[in-house]
Amino acid sequence: MSGPRYHRTRAQDQRLVGFECTDCGWVAYPDERRTCKSCGAAPAEFEEVALATRGEIQTFVVQQYLPDDIETPQPVAVVDLPQVDGEGEAARVYGLLTESSLEEIDVGTEVDARFREMFADGTRPVNSFKFSVPRADKAGDGGDGE
Amino acid sequence: MNDAYVVGAGMIDFGEHYDQSFDDLLESAYLALLDDVDHGIDPQADIDAAWYGTIDIAGEGSSGASVAHATGLFEKPITRVENACATGSDAFRNASLAVRAGAADVALVIGAEKMLDDTAGLIGSAALERLWRGRGVTMPAYFGMRATRHMDQYDTTREQIAQVSVKNHENGTKYPHAHQQFECSVKDVTESPTVSYPLNLYDCCPVTDGACAVLVANEDRAREFTDDPIRHAGFGLSSDSFQRGGDAALTNFPASRHASRAAYEMAGIAPGDVDVAEVHDCFSITELVTYEDLGFCEEGQGGQFVEEGRSALDGDTPVNPSGGLLSKGHPIGATGVAQVAEIYEQLRGEAGDVQVDDPQVGLQHNIGIGRNATGAVSCVNVLQRP
Ligand SMILES: [Zn+2]
Repeated sequence: MSGPRYHRTRAQDQRLVGFECTDCGWVAYPDERRTCKSCGAAPAEFEEVALATRGEIQTFVVQQYLPDDIETPQPVAVVDLPQVDGEGEAARVYGLLTESSLEEIDVGTEVDARFREMFADGTRPVNSFKFSVPRADKAGDGGDGE
Repeated sequence: MNDAYVVGAGMIDFGEHYDQSFDDLLESAYLALLDDVDHGIDPQADIDAAWYGTIDIAGEGSSGASVAHATGLFEKPITRVENACATGSDAFRNASLAVRAGAADVALVIGAEKMLDDTAGLIGSAALERLWRGRGVTMPAYFGMRATRHMDQYDTTREQIAQVSVKNHENGTKYPHAHQQFECSVKDVTESPTVSYPLNLYDCCPVTDGACAVLVANEDRAREFTDDPIRHAGFGLSSDSFQRGGDAALTNFPASRHASRAAYEMAGIAPGDVDVAEVHDCFSITELVTYEDLGFCEEGQGGQFVEEGRSALDGDTPVNPSGGLLSKGHPIGATGVAQVAEIYEQLRGEAGDVQVDDPQVGLQHNIGIGRNATGAVSCVNVLQRP
């Protein structure tokens, strides 16, 4: 994880803000440049939209073999994060899952975004979002998991 | 535009070649090709240009000069092509384009990869490249995600997915250049170690070194080299990303649909006309969804297609008679070139124990993942008996 790469996407890594194409409604997240990756508008105009912290798993796998600095087994999912106001398209993102087991997750399962340390860049922690099954939905667990 | 024809092919046994350098692999494939040309070839006089497919994982075969050095074809234009896992098939497509355009009468296509020299780098870069784009997603995960969703959406069974691997390993035992020559059962596949749920070890292609070369000539020159040239009838190349939002990309690869439709249109054929296919099966699920993407069956029917034996050697659409990447191996730059060579053999009736019944039209297909996550490239080539 290089420093410059980290800085380039820091705003999106640390805030759930997407960018909606004013032509076709597709929501760019976390990348936003000057062209639309869905309809091909160039230049495209984007509007900032706030994304909800709760989304829905579209598909997932549970990885067993990863570099040493990532814990395994590691579930990773494609998650659709709707917009806060409930309008428009969802943002479709890859999300690492945390505090969740294979038995708890499926296509269609709702998950919450949680801000976590992702990796260490040298001595500096790199923070962003992971996802987990909502605590209240877990039987026998009264805590909020934070 | 001229027509382009395949007039020769040469391949090394795919496998572990620690003891051989990149140059050794290229030399061997090249010499096998020269030996294969029916009426012989004077390479210095006959070959006008070369296209070289590699992603150069080993860091040893970087430019066209590698091919010049390994073959002795100096003073000729040699272009390196890199396009994810479609590298070899796109090198073939580019050579054919030059022949069609009249820029070369006879072109060499050569692909090579040493996968075993450095594999840690592949997994590491895929996992850590960018925070949000990749999120630690590895190759088995990109493909496994289609499996999870396909099972959920179409009631495809885990056993149907495993049957792809069973079929291809059985074919591989009959194909002399295949890396891993063993048969396995559905149970062997589903009980092999989990790599990335829902995929197990036997759902994944091995890590393999390899090289392959084919010769492409225009219509005027083709019969100098053989009485039995095979026409390159159509091709397509396309890119897609499943973060564009299209739900079809959660279960399938829309890029393969676009690339195959373009290839079919150019060749003037329909999916039902394909008599034999070598398709990308880096993972078992990849081949299953590719049946649908290429139009061999309806969307969601890939599981039934393999279960009913329709893609078996004696099925109505035999797929991966060579054993596919699952058995043969997947040395990226060589993979697509080898698939073209295999279809060439099939259409000439020279495929030995894996020969299918009198094929007239053959298809070659690769799908590749790029940009550490969502970008997918697909290349499809259609070959036909003239
Ligand atoms: Zn747009």
